[in-house]
Amino acid sequence: MDFSGFIVIAAVISTVILTMALAVKMQRAKELQTTADGLQKSLNEMDEQAKLVVRTDIALNKTQEELDKKITGLYALQRISRAISTTMEEKEIFKRIGSEHLDEIGFERAAAFMLYEEEDKFIPELSLGYGDEEMENLSTFINAHGDFFRRIIGNKETFSSISATATAGINKENLSRAFGINAFVVCPILPKEGNQGLLIVGTENPDTLVTEGDEELITILANQLGQALENARLFEKTWRAQQDLEKKVDERTRELSKVLEEVKDSSKRKSDFISSVSHELRTPLTSIKGYASILLAGKLGAIPKEVKERLEKINRHSDELVHMVNDLLDIARIEAGRVTMKQEPQNLINIVGQATDLLSMQAKEKDINLISDIPSDANSVYVDRSQIERVFINLIANALKFTPAKGRISIRAHKKGSFVQVDINDTGCGIPKEAQDKIFEEFYRVDNAINQEAKGTGLGLSLVKHIIEAHKGKIFVESAPGRGSTFSFTLPQPK
Amino acid sequence: MSIQAGVGLSTDKDHIAAVQEAVVQAKKNIAGDKIDLAFVFSTREYAHTTVLKTISQLSGNAVIIGSSSLAIISRAGICRHGLMVILISLPNEAYFNAASIREISSKSFDAAGKELAEKLLYGSKGTRRDLSLIFCDRLIQDSSGIINGMRQQLGMSFPLIGASPSERLGHKNSHLYFNEEIIKDAACGMLFGGKLTFGVGVKHGWKPLGKPRHITKSRGNIVYEINEEPAAKLYEEYIGKSREELKKELKRISIFYPIGIHLPGEEEYLLRNVISIEDDGSLTLQGDVHVDSRIRLMVGTKESCLEATAQAMDDLKTAMKDHPAEFILVFDSLSRLMLLGRQADREIEIIREKAGSGVPIFGLYTYGEQAPLRSIDYLGKTYFHNQTITILGVGG
Repeated sequence: MDFSGFIVIAAVISTVILTMALAVKMQRAKELQTTADGLQKSLNEMDEQAKLVVRTDIALNKTQEELDKKITGLYALQRISRAISTTMEEKEIFKRIGSEHLDEIGFERAAAFMLYEEEDKFIPELSLGYGDEEMENLSTFINAHGDFFRRIIGNKETFSSISATATAGINKENLSRAFGINAFVVCPILPKEGNQGLLIVGTENPDTLVTEGDEELITILANQLGQALENARLFEKTWRAQQDLEKKVDERTRELSKVLEEVKDSSKRKSDFISSVSHELRTPLTSIKGYASILLAGKLGAIPKEVKERLEKINRHSDELVHMVNDLLDIARIEAGRVTMKQEPQNLINIVGQATDLLSMQAKEKDINLISDIPSDANSVYVDRSQIERVFINLIANALKFTPAKGRISIRAHKKGSFVQVDINDTGCGIPKEAQDKIFEEFYRVDNAINQEAKGTGLGLSLVKHIIEAHKGKIFVESAPGRGSTFSFTLPQPK
Repeated sequence: MSIQAGVGLSTDKDHIAAVQEAVVQAKKNIAGDKIDLAFVFSTREYAHTTVLKTISQLSGNAVIIGSSSLAIISRAGICRHGLMVILISLPNEAYFNAASIREISSKSFDAAGKELAEKLLYGSKGTRRDLSLIFCDRLIQDSSGIINGMRQQLGMSFPLIGASPSERLGHKNSHLYFNEEIIKDAACGMLFGGKLTFGVGVKHGWKPLGKPRHITKSRGNIVYEINEEPAAKLYEEYIGKSREELKKELKRISIFYPIGIHLPGEEEYLLRNVISIEDDGSLTLQGDVHVDSRIRLMVGTKESCLEATAQAMDDLKTAMKDHPAEFILVFDSLSRLMLLGRQADREIEIIREKAGSGVPIFGLYTYGEQAPLRSIDYLGKTYFHNQTITILGVGG
């Protein structure tokens, strides 16, 4: 083989090798292209999946945002409700709503106007996020379109930038401009009584849209405001009524105090008069009685029987008159506070015994059973003995007077707190109900057959009452006609 | 003496009463009378110059810096109506300078950033400079430009921590506080140096979803095309809604599904909210994005957000090594507040638990944050973020 043959063979071999290498490379390139195509396909598929993820994510975020907004709104409403329900002052209600509450419900500006019918004017009560000048302009706008806003109140209609339609020449854009907000909700404030109004809430943010949920939220807020106003007005009304009542009570009390003073004054004058008259009466009475006694004793010579009888009458009547004058004097002194009760620890059994001994003859004459029952725990009393003896003598004597023969009078006592209650019960004719309140008054005498026959001054029970009250005790009666009477009184015990 | 922070918070509706209450509380929590700096964070109803003048008077003319926000953050949780005053007493070895720039809209963002950095650097020659803290007016659409300008002056890996505070998502109004003034169309900041220790944790918690795509046409913060198709098609495909429907729900969708930019060498994706969808199908983002950037659609959940907060705190502690934080400053994105909803307070609980007892915590909600992605040793480049939580720990 020559050199040229060798070259041809080499060239052929090289061509074969190169062709094979090229084929391998092409094969590899093809494989790489396939892989790249596969990767590109996967990438495109993943990109498509990413698009699905984004779209799902948007929907989820939107739902989450709405949910968040609702939850935040409800929390804010709860806080506002708490803030406005803790005041009973109408003006304070609006002041309790702050910018922080507004933020929480997702708005920046709020205004409230109340319609004052008397002035035929909407007056601003709440301004949040508005400057003074802006608020003045808004107020002018609302009043210039008063009929439109009255209709909103009248129709109890909530409207917003998504639901507003052109009404009476005011369209959504005009309202937005006037309110100084891009999106808004207007809701009437409707307390059942008194002035009603409007709540305007909104945002300047052009990206914030009002939703139906916002309308609901603002409606709830306006209702809460209405309810709070209603409560405040009711409270105001009740408070005013109470104030009027208190004023009237004060006036009546003053009038009564004045009358009481007059009564006291008149009573004092009466006591003074009685005291003075009694004193004046006692001197001539003493003389009359003295002269009658001298004549009766025959110191001035014998007197005829008829004269003696008349003198004895003079003497007896003089005694009665002296007794009466003494009682009157005692009442007057006690009333005037001139008698001091000399209170000391005393034995009630002894006092009752003393009184019953004194009156036992009269009881015997009428065959009246006089019983006394004083238990040991009620025996000790802290009293002026001589005065309390007068009380017992008066009451037992009265009982004897009004109890028919063969009757019964009981004197019982029992402990009642730091006092002893004494009950003097008889089987007498009893006292009619209408007379029971009056029997302790001076000169009052129950209108009955016995009183018409028996003599009496009508001062005994009054004196008894004065003595008991001077001991800080109480006296009262229980009685019914034909069923006897029980006079009860309380006496203090030693401390 | 180490750095000290006394925090006072008041919710009194009267702003004068509130400022007095907050300052008295703050003073109680700080030993000594030397007050160098006052941070003032409040909700918008307290944005009055009277408040600032009162703080200045009561603090002995301390430098005041701060902002209004939708809500403020304290150790106790989130406060939606309140005024917080934080009085800071710095050790003698520490250095700080404060400055502001105004009328930003009349100049380029880069130039504005440079101007702020120059003002902050003034007088700091020969001093070790550690960190800058900045607050940008919410009106500034592209805070990235300001950062770029600042980096050119301060150094490309100089740590910048900043916030664009916001009173409401998408709302452009905000009040920046600088000394006794409320400034607008402005930015203000501070430069710290000397013997202070800083630790930063920056995390968001959003995860990539779907296949990667590339930005094929963009300018500044506007993305015209992704994979050579109208940028809006990305959202149309994933969300399954027409462009018009997307426009209506854009802010919500953007919070849950922002765009994530892959940064080579970084673990975290850089998030961008979509501010608007234009009729030509382009997307306007909150922050710049470059052609050829590899992007993903991102998805976040409450759980992933809260995990990120815990990770940010762990990063902060690692960065501070053995130095305990004397106070913790939090810039938290409003988007997170919206996403977390009723669980937003849980995020503050996590910070509190990780910070330990007694460490003052204060901060505000923002609509854009500035921080380095890699927090440890401040070696990372500072970026403009969306939807992140930035936690700064400062120690003596």
